[in-house]
Formats: sequence, C-alpha cells, structure tokens
Amino acid sequence: MSQETQDIETATTAMTSEAPPDSRTRRYDRQLRLWAATGQAALESAHLLVLSSTATSTSILKNLVLPGVGTFTVLDDAIVTPADAGNNFFLEGPDSIGKPRAQEAVRLLGELNEGVQGHADVKSVEQLLTAGKGELFKYTLVIAHNLPRSQLERLSQLLWEDEDAPSLVVVRSAGFLAEFFIQQHEHTIIESHSETAPSLRIDKPFPALLQYTQSLDLDALDPTDHGHVPYVILLVSAMERWKKEHNGLVPQSYPEKKAFKELVSSMKRKLDEENFEEAEAQAYRSWTETKVPSEVAELFSDPKLQNLNASSPPFFHLLAALKAFTAHPPYTLPLTSTLPDMKASTDAYIGLQKLYKDQAELEKGTFKSYISPEVQIGDDIIDSFVKNAHALKVIRGSSWNSIDKDATALANAVTASPKQLAIHLALSAASSLASKTPIPLQGEILVLTIEALTQEAQSLLPPETELPEEFEDTAGEIARSPTADLPNTAALLGGLVAQEVIKMITKQYIPISGVCTVDLIETWTGIL
Amino acid sequence: MATLVNGSATADWPGRYFHIDQILDKPGPRTDPGFAAGAEAPFLRDQAKILVIGAGGLGCEILANLALTGFKHIHVIDMDTIDISNLNRQFLFRSKDVGKSKAIVAADFIMQRVPGVEVTPYFGKIQDKGDDYYMQFNLVICGLDSVEARRWINATLVNLVDPENPESLKPLIDGGTEGFKGQARVILPTITSCYECSLDMLNKQTAFPICTIANTPRLPEHCIEWASVLEWPRVHGDKKMDTDDPEHISWLYKTAASRAKEFNIEGVTWSLTQGVVKNIIPAIASTNAIIAAACCNEAFKIATSSAAYLNNYFMLIGTDGIYSYTFEHEKRADCPVCGGESLDFPISMEVTVEELIDMLIEKQDIQIKKPSLSTPTRQIYLQAPPQLEQATRPNLEKKVSELVPGGGEVTVTASTLPFSLSLNIIYN
Repeated sequence: MSQETQDIETATTAMTSEAPPDSRTRRYDRQLRLWAATGQAALESAHLLVLSSTATSTSILKNLVLPGVGTFTVLDDAIVTPADAGNNFFLEGPDSIGKPRAQEAVRLLGELNEGVQGHADVKSVEQLLTAGKGELFKYTLVIAHNLPRSQLERLSQLLWEDEDAPSLVVVRSAGFLAEFFIQQHEHTIIESHSETAPSLRIDKPFPALLQYTQSLDLDALDPTDHGHVPYVILLVSAMERWKKEHNGLVPQSYPEKKAFKELVSSMKRKLDEENFEEAEAQAYRSWTETKVPSEVAELFSDPKLQNLNASSPPFFHLLAALKAFTAHPPYTLPLTSTLPDMKASTDAYIGLQKLYKDQAELEKGTFKSYISPEVQIGDDIIDSFVKNAHALKVIRGSSWNSIDKDATALANAVTASPKQLAIHLALSAASSLASKTPIPLQGEILVLTIEALTQEAQSLLPPETELPEEFEDTAGEIARSPTADLPNTAALLGGLVAQEVIKMITKQYIPISGVCTVDLIETWTGIL
Repeated sequence: MATLVNGSATADWPGRYFHIDQILDKPGPRTDPGFAAGAEAPFLRDQAKILVIGAGGLGCEILANLALTGFKHIHVIDMDTIDISNLNRQFLFRSKDVGKSKAIVAADFIMQRVPGVEVTPYFGKIQDKGDDYYMQFNLVICGLDSVEARRWINATLVNLVDPENPESLKPLIDGGTEGFKGQARVILPTITSCYECSLDMLNKQTAFPICTIANTPRLPEHCIEWASVLEWPRVHGDKKMDTDDPEHISWLYKTAASRAKEFNIEGVTWSLTQGVVKNIIPAIASTNAIIAAACCNEAFKIATSSAAYLNNYFMLIGTDGIYSYTFEHEKRADCPVCGGESLDFPISMEVTVEELIDMLIEKQDIQIKKPSLSTPTRQIYLQAPPQLEQATRPNLEKKVSELVPGGGEVTVTASTLPFSLSLNIIYN
C-alpha cells in the first residue's frame, strides 16, 4: 500500500465517519483527501494580502479562493485599462474599463466561493509601506507580483526584521519567463506526507513481537495457517535462527545476505507460499539497522533546542522530547502504529497489528514523559508528531534579496544552474531598469534593450563573475516582452504560487526553498 | 502597441491584446524563422478552430486560457453533469449549476465573460463523433480523467493522418493531474510518441485479490470491496449499483462496517467507502491550473509559431518542493496504434487461451479489459455477441499452440478500443 493511500485513509478518517457528509464537506471532498480537516481549518483561518490585481495576481487568488482560504485583501490603486480587460479573467471585459481594478477583481473572485471574505483596498503600495508594520502584520502571508524594485526592497525589509512577521511571496514575470521566491523565517512541518514509510523495526523486535514469534511453532501449523503467517513474523523468526548460528550477528556480506534469503526460502512448505515470497523481498529490512534518520538527527542540533523555554513553539518542545526519547534504548524513533498490508489471515494480521498498536501506545507514553511539564500540547498534535516523526522538517528561509548579495552562491550558480540564474538575473535587471525609467504611458511598451539588461545584470554579479552563456537569449526574451503578463504564464504561476501558499498555510507537504524559475518556451521549472 | 486586426471579431477593443501582442509583434532570440512577426494574429483570432475534450477540472481552466489568449472558435465536449464536489476547482460552475451539463454551462460562462469568443458545446461522448467532425479542427486539447477516452481520441487522431494531406495531422495536447502531481505533453500523431506508446508509464491501479476480499480481509478497503463486489450483487441481484446515489453508498458503508466489526478491522468510514467504490482521485485547483496553462501555452505556441513547442513531455511533482522534468518520450516501434510493427509475444507451448487472455489483461503496456482473439483464418475467442462467445468458449481450455503456429499472428480486439493489436506469437 502506498503512502498516498495511507494518507487518504487518515484524511478520510478525520471526516465525520458515520453519516453522509454535509454539503461543505462534499464541496471540499477532493482536497480533504489531501490535507484533511486540519489543513482545511488552517486554510480557513488565514488572511492573505495580495499586492496588485494583475492577471497573475488574480490567477493566484483564484486557486486560493476555490479551496476556501478564509479572507483575502487585494491592495491596488489602479484603474482598469483596456489591456487589463483583455488578459484578466476576473474583470468583465470592456464593462470593467475605467473602474477600480481591485474592486472589480474582488467582486468576481468572490463569486467563486460564498464562504470566502474578500476585501478591496484601493490604497497605493506607498501608502501601505508608510502605514508600516501594524497594517502588514495582521495578515498571514503577503503576495506581491511585479512590484517595482524599490518598493519590494522596503516591503521585504519590513517583513524580515521581525521574526513573527508574515511570510512574503515575491512573484515576477515577463512574457514566457517567470520566477518566485518565498521569504520565510522559520517553517516547521509535522505532516510532510513523505513517501518513505517508517521502520517496522524488524531488526530490533520489541519484546512482545519477539515473544509472539518465539511462541509460534511454524512447523506445527496446518498448511493454510503456514501460508498466512505475516512476513514480519517470518523475518523475525528467521533472524533469530540466523543469529544463533552466527555469533548473534546479522548477515554482513552479500553472500551472507543471500544465504539468509535462502534460509527464509527453505522455511517454505510449498513453492508458492506468497507470505514467504514477501519475506524474501523484504529481507533487507531485517538486517538494515533501524536508526534515527539522519535528516531527523540533524534537527536535534537546532539552535532553538538550546534555548528552549515556555514560549518556544510546541514543535520544538516535541522535538526536544524526541531527542530525549532517542537517547535511550533501542535508540530509535517511537514505533509506528501503522502496519502495511501483507499476505496474512485476518486473525494473524489483526493480531500483529494489535502488537504494534500496543507497543506504539506504550512508547508514545514514554515520549510524553519527556515533554517539558511547563507546556500544554494537545493530544492530537502529539499523536501526529509521533506518527510523522520519521519525516519532520524545519525550513529556515532567507530574506528576499539574500541570493543577490551572496557572491559565492551566485558564482556557483553560473556553473551549476546557468539557465535558472539567467532567468533570475534577467528579471532582476528588468525590474531595476523599470524602477529607473519613467513609467510608460498607457498602451505603450517599456523599451528595454539586451545591452541595457546585460549591463544591469552584470552589475548585480560580484566583480570578475561572468554572466552565464544562456543570459543573452534570456535577456532577448525579456526585451521582446518586458511587460507582458501573458494569460498562460499568469495561469501557470497562479497554480504554482497558490500551491506553495497552501503548503505554507497548512504546514503540510514541503514548500520550495530557493528561487523557483519558469521557462515556458522550453517548458521547464527549476530551483535556483 | 496593440492594433486592431482587420477582419477580426468586432468585440476587440483597442489595447485588448496589449500583452499578447508583445509576443506576436516581435520574434524572440530562439523563435523559428518561419514566424511572421505581426502577421500571426489573424490565423489565431479568425481561423484557428480548437477542440477541448473535457470541461472538468482541466477543461474549465483550458477554456478560460484559450479564450484570453485569443482563440475565437472553440468547441468543447463533455458527457458529465456538474456535481457539488466539482466546485472546489471547476471555477466556471456555481452551486446553482449542479446537475446541468458541464460543456454547456462552461461554454455559456466563457462567452459571457470573454466577449467575441464563440464556444460550441457538445453534451455527449467523444465516441459519438466521427472522422469528419474531428477533421474540422486545427488542434485538440484533452483534459480527461479517463485512460479509455484518451486512448480512443489518440487512436482516432493517428488514424486520421493522411500523408497526402498535411491538414489531416492534428496536434494533440494532453494534460492529466492527480493530487499535487501532473503532466502535459504534445503528441504529433504518427510523428512523435503517442498516448499508446506511453501506457506503461501509468500507475498500476490497486486491485485486491478476490480471495483476500472473500476470506482474509485485513484492511477497511477489503471490507468495502466485499460489500460492493460480492454482497451487492448477492443481495440486490440485477439492480445496478450507482456510486453517485448516496443511499447506495450508505448501504455499502453499513455492510462494510458490519463486516469490519466482525473481523475487528478499524477504519471503515462513509467517506472511505465512497472513495474506494468511486475510485476517487484527489484533485485541486492549483495543480489543474499549472497543467492546463502548460497545455494552452503549447497550443498558443503551435498556433502562432511564436516560440518552439514542447518536445514532448512535461512532468510535475509538487509534494516536496516543485520538481519537474521535461523530456522527449520515445516513440515505440511496436506501438499498436502508431508503430506499425506487431508485438512479439513469447509464451510457452503449454499456455492455454484462457491463460493468454489473463496475461494480456495483466500486461501494463497493453491494458485491455475484455480482449477477443482471432487469427487471419479463425476465431479463437470472442467476448460478444453471446452466440459467438458460446461457440468459441471451448477454445479457452485449449493450448494456444494447438491453434496458432509458431510465428503466427493473433489479432486482439476489445470493444473499448478503436484499434486492434497484432501479436506475433513466439513459443519458447
């Protein structure tokens, strides 16, 4: 059974189990199977601020209003132009021309979902920046599309200075090219929905599992029962025999591992016993030592653990408890209570499942005893933390323009990710040039030459660093369409950005780290 | 500066295509020399006729994107009606539209929102239409959730190709999503890899063996399958199970729950029951937006030559960061639809016809449900009509080697497929 199916099971168990779902649950059914009621609740309590109501901005919002984000505010002082009315689905063609763009967009986006609150704020970005932090900090997250560089610098700084400030998603696009970046301080994830299954600890059988295996006389079973002993038991049993004959050691070399598999195979009574076939296929689990996964072990040296206090987020208190748990035998994470499906009779499987559940419950109790008594953490969070302990994540982000100030990173990127870097530099150069040039009249295109873009991009790089070879073509595309907010590019960015915002808000799945660049000529995305 | 193109629909207002015309008025550094700067718009806006198959999660997005990029003659086919569970992503529909035709409501919405675009809906199946119908389009975009429908349209468009008539080659752009994952691809029938060439890339559907369901249930899913596959027909006889009928789901849920209780299995819920029997695939607006945009962007590039189009497969996984992979999927020489070569099929001399049929059903790159088999000279086994099925049934127990010589050809057909598969039987 795949991890995804398990997730669906968990998700659906969280819904009201007995009766047909209500109409709200039915509406959201297809997404609740991904992020469950907990993710949905997080989404519904979020308040987003979106700066501008361009085609890209409304495309992003559409994909957040549909799944039911709580509240959104569009801040935009623009009046709808004929060009806006042509590329934005959330304007009503010529009827919207001349009206405040934020109001038109909010009205039409609002029609998508009655459960969502939308607000239009016709202030300018300048006014918002002047109003300062108090105004900004009421939002969960801020999204900015094609903001002039000078304003973006001030905005990102305001949101970076404070640890508790909302995250900022910076989106830039021109023609077929685009990039976006999430400025985030610290993002902790319990439910990362990892594809990796937690260890069943076959190599370190817990006492009840070992006892059960030892009490089972395989030779005394009738043929049907013999073909229905779960592979977990078979492997534990075979390993007990092996260790007796090999000084208590598990198979070390390839020939030994092969010999172990032959031992498992020799225990078959008939050629086609599927449970034994599964045991052979899963044999590696019995000699692979269950340890704390290295990514999780790394989290144990997180600076937040050194200075833990009553006001630290629950995640770090739980992480501290986990660290303490793993410092004791058997030096593993708490046992999982989820047993994958395997060839077995109902009774044998349910019996084994009960052994795992009981042991998992026991270990969870031990884990809880390590949680600092000065904090109160709900049981459902503890359950989820233990269940997902093998795939916990902590993302420590950086400020929006940090890459542009990191000479080493830029120099490395020239060779490691030249195509991605070319897009980032070309869009940055265009944004800088646009800040320096007077705003073109309505209907006129800003003129950016390849030469000017190249010069500007070169100035963003540390001295002695050459632009990647790909830059010229990339700059040529920007020069072709410096201010084009193409409907398809807008729609694609709308999907990508909304998806990352959902991951940020629900704290489920793993958002990007770095700059995501998009080329819709060759049709690829890449992280810088 | 955008200009009003002569002869285009009157609804165009000055500046309407300000954004798109930046692309159409100038070539980029990598644009094909065949691109006529400033002269591609009339084809896009006056002549191009595009068919959208599916007006669901992808279809709604596709229609909106095409309309905004300037396609004016759009047709859309969908046989489904709107359900409340569509509203979290199919953004052209509202609560009041539940029960109505997706194709009709979507077409009306687009025409009302984007002036001057003509969207012609067809509320029905793609199989209702013949070659003449498909011949009228310049491009076809598919946003479907059914493998069977995709195979049908793919085979139909491959068969439509007449080497003497370049107009008969209709680029097929296909998109698909599942949760946070999706793919978009461009198929040039007979030239590039086709949908059939890549069937082995599909995830195998979880199927539970009947003996597990009947005798050794372990998971809640096993109990639900027992209720729907074994108990429903036993209790209700010929009455058809309707997975859209909440009363039927409730019955299945209760039946599955009582079996689960009997076996001490936890986790049967109403929602899981519905998910298993309807084979529900999670679906969200954002993934659909990404994939639909990728598809429409290819349509735009093909229709205007403004940039190179995708060669030929874009795959996206959004669960852990954003991972995408763009590659050229290779054409298969033995593809039953576009390959021309027959498929070598090695079997033992002892294999019976029935076993051969099971092997075909199991094979991931063939994916056939109820195959009928024949050789150029005789019928081996036919699934229908009933008289022929009865007449050929005795062959099921015979060995294939009694009926087909080594190196002999077996033609495989199925009612769900618009093509036949030719096997070259090799005994080993």
